Amino acid sequence: MPGTRIETLPQLAALQHDLQRARSRWTRTVLICGGTGCRAAGSAELGPVFEREIANAGLGEQVNVRYTGCHGFCERGALVVIAPERVWYQGVRLEDVSEIVSETLLHDRPVDRLLYREPMTGETKVLERDVGFYARQMRVALRYNGEVDPADIEDYLSLGGYGALAHVFEAMTPEQVIEEIKRSGLRGRGGGGFPTGRKWETCRDAQGHLKYVVCNGDEGDPGAFMDRSILEGNPHGVLEGMLIGSYAIGASQGFVYVRYEYPLALENTARAMDQAREYGLLGDNILGSGHSFDVEIVRGGGAFVCGESTALMASIEGGVGEPRSKYVHTVESGLWERPTNLNNVETWANVPVIIERGADWFASVGTESSKGTKVFSVVGKVKNTGLVEVPMGMTLHELVYDVCGGVAGDRELKAIQTGGPSGGCIPAELLHLPIDYEHLTEAGSMMGSGGMIVMDDRTCMVELARYFTSFLADESCGKCTPCREGLHQMLQVLNGITQGRGKDGDIELLEDLAELLTWGALCGLGTTAANPVLSTLRYFRPEYDAHIHEKKCPAGVCRELVTYRVDPEACTGCHLCARNCPEDAIKGEPKKPHEILTDRCVKCGICFGVCKFDAVIVE
Amino acid sequence: MVTITINGKSVEAAEGATVLQAARSVGVEIPALCYHPAVEPYAACRLCLVEVTADNRTRVVTSCNYTVRDGLAVETDTERIHRLRRGLLELYLAQAPGSDVIRELAAQYGIVQTRFQIRGDDDEKCILCGLCERVCRELMGKGGISFAFRGTERTVTTPFAEPLTDCLGCGACAFVCPTGAVVERRSRETVELDAWGAEVPMARCSVCGQAFAPAAGIEYAANKLGIDAEELCVCAGCRRLLHSRALGKSGGHRRCPGE
Repeated sequence: MPGTRIETLPQLAALQHDLQRARSRWTRTVLICGGTGCRAAGSAELGPVFEREIANAGLGEQVNVRYTGCHGFCERGALVVIAPERVWYQGVRLEDVSEIVSETLLHDRPVDRLLYREPMTGETKVLERDVGFYARQMRVALRYNGEVDPADIEDYLSLGGYGALAHVFEAMTPEQVIEEIKRSGLRGRGGGGFPTGRKWETCRDAQGHLKYVVCNGDEGDPGAFMDRSILEGNPHGVLEGMLIGSYAIGASQGFVYVRYEYPLALENTARAMDQAREYGLLGDNILGSGHSFDVEIVRGGGAFVCGESTALMASIEGGVGEPRSKYVHTVESGLWERPTNLNNVETWANVPVIIERGADWFASVGTESSKGTKVFSVVGKVKNTGLVEVPMGMTLHELVYDVCGGVAGDRELKAIQTGGPSGGCIPAELLHLPIDYEHLTEAGSMMGSGGMIVMDDRTCMVELARYFTSFLADESCGKCTPCREGLHQMLQVLNGITQGRGKDGDIELLEDLAELLTWGALCGLGTTAANPVLSTLRYFRPEYDAHIHEKKCPAGVCRELVTYRVDPEACTGCHLCARNCPEDAIKGEPKKPHEILTDRCVKCGICFGVCKFDAVIVE
Repeated sequence: MVTITINGKSVEAAEGATVLQAARSVGVEIPALCYHPAVEPYAACRLCLVEVTADNRTRVVTSCNYTVRDGLAVETDTERIHRLRRGLLELYLAQAPGSDVIRELAAQYGIVQTRFQIRGDDDEKCILCGLCERVCRELMGKGGISFAFRGTERTVTTPFAEPLTDCLGCGACAFVCPTGAVVERRSRETVELDAWGAEVPMARCSVCGQAFAPAAGIEYAANKLGIDAEELCVCAGCRRLLHSRALGKSGGHRRCPGE
């Protein structure tokens, strides 16, 4: 019944009920992951084929096919789940569809070759909840990501969506909502970790008739896609959170700031907003409550720094995305100098769940100071890359090994980089650390928005610091001197060290620049920009020394500092390296040890990568 | 009024004043290159960093845009502040090796040479403080120049980096430039601002014929004031003379130049 405007709370309850009943005729649902990763693996073509095969099998009336948001296990796409049992299929291709239909849907038998095998034990898992990747997760912000069709508001409504909003209107004053959020212990998921309830309260108390709420979806950390997946997968959850927040704060206008490079998130959020408006969930006098609120989408300015709150607001206002000093907080004077409450996508997504399940339940998850769950995108040298949501307080070790299956190629874990480019590296010996705001900060890193990069023993920590510094120098807006000039000079020093031009005094220079950035830069980008250098200096100082004094790269990464040779003992003479060498720099008779001609070698590392016998040695 | 302490001494400051204003009002010098009282503070040069303590919490803030409040304790010359300023000056020496102002300020802090790689050309003087841009936009209401690009690519430039054809020639940008990077050259015919490729013809006084002000500036001012440009096209000396004649008095300015 599209176009039905819901005017009152009883009407909402009735609609939810009707939708639930209408959906109960489906005995099964095929849930196809429509996230970006699975789309890249071809999931977009699966839906029509499933529908055709299901119709051919005469199951058209009983089985529903639905595209959902990201399921998280991107490594194994395309993912298909058969509900209600939640049989979990991975790597599904077009040619697998008919078998899934005939076996699983018609005869209740799993298709063995599409099931998941645990990398550690080799065990085959049929159901999603038994797959190691999901077994230890706890999905709160991502709860409907594998469940609802983000393009259909009725899916969300049928699961009780907008029920938390109805409850707030019916039974809570704005002050009670704020109290509930404060009691839950929810802290900002964008990185800062500021208590959300307190932020709301300050904004509610701030002087001013017109107030704004903003959703920060300008996720720019390389390798991070938490917020994108939430906006793509369940935009209504975010809108409902913003609606509840706007009621608590007394805001009448909201903005969702979506990163420029997230077209699908943009599309799904815009559609969700249109639908919510159509159903009377955005606009004037929502559900007869007297509260009016509407939301606008703003497309990001295309710069990393636009994720910084004041730069983001400048960008919404139509200016260049450049930060300003925050001595007057944005909750008092933000957008157009009016009180503005900004929260990150994930923070907003938590709000309806807290109202629904209660502050006590939320506070029972996590640690003393960090409550609830956190979404991480785990990438790098790890077996199961993807999106995970785990309770705060889980150790880094559990996350990498139990949830994500361990280090790729079973190599040795060297460090984990958390918190995005201006986060820090946590060395393997600190893997027992529980993941919460305080522990990560103490270790010289930070929670950040939830990017997590796993690194093995073939990672050069100096090169890593150089990479992140170069990213940040590129993304510096250039307004303040410590960030613009300081990062540039930091990069020059690091370039020198990794290219064999390191000298005495370089480390002191890096430390001086780090102090200048930390204390002297204008915004959060600059004040945290030294973290990659500081944390690698703290835990991997000998690597810096080796580069500077011995002109060696212990990890064998920095091209100017390494040479390649063949270990004659290990070489089988398979000739694979020679065939792949682009410079024709490897000579050798078949089945006899080969040799690398160092004057020809350009140190591209291809031989090292292709050798199956670990016979290529980098020194 | 609020009472704060600056380097241990009690100071009365106006409500809403910045720490920099309060300090300067009692003769405490804090270096600040991107600050000018005529425009909004920008907090980009970071030289005005000071330590402030309130509620037992010490922070490093920029004094140009940090507002005083009762009981605030300000320290302008701590070890850490000097270390940060020295670091900044080293960076500025590498960015703008051509600026005497930077070199002199650095020398005051004991910095003669920078440890950093020289980034700017030998004659580079601009430190991207943005005063020229702010004065043109905020004060003149013109916005003829603005920042473009980011990071070390950042620069103040004209639209599409073309020579600025609608410059007023007011020279305010050159007047506020702290490092001499923007220079105004004035002749009998034109005002030239090489930084923007601007060449603005001078207008001649309708009475004495002397070139006295950039024509575009006169027109702009007349437009803003809603009066005829010709009324403004009289040099200051002639204007005084005309006024005094009208009043039947002899003015201080006896003879109009060129008369």
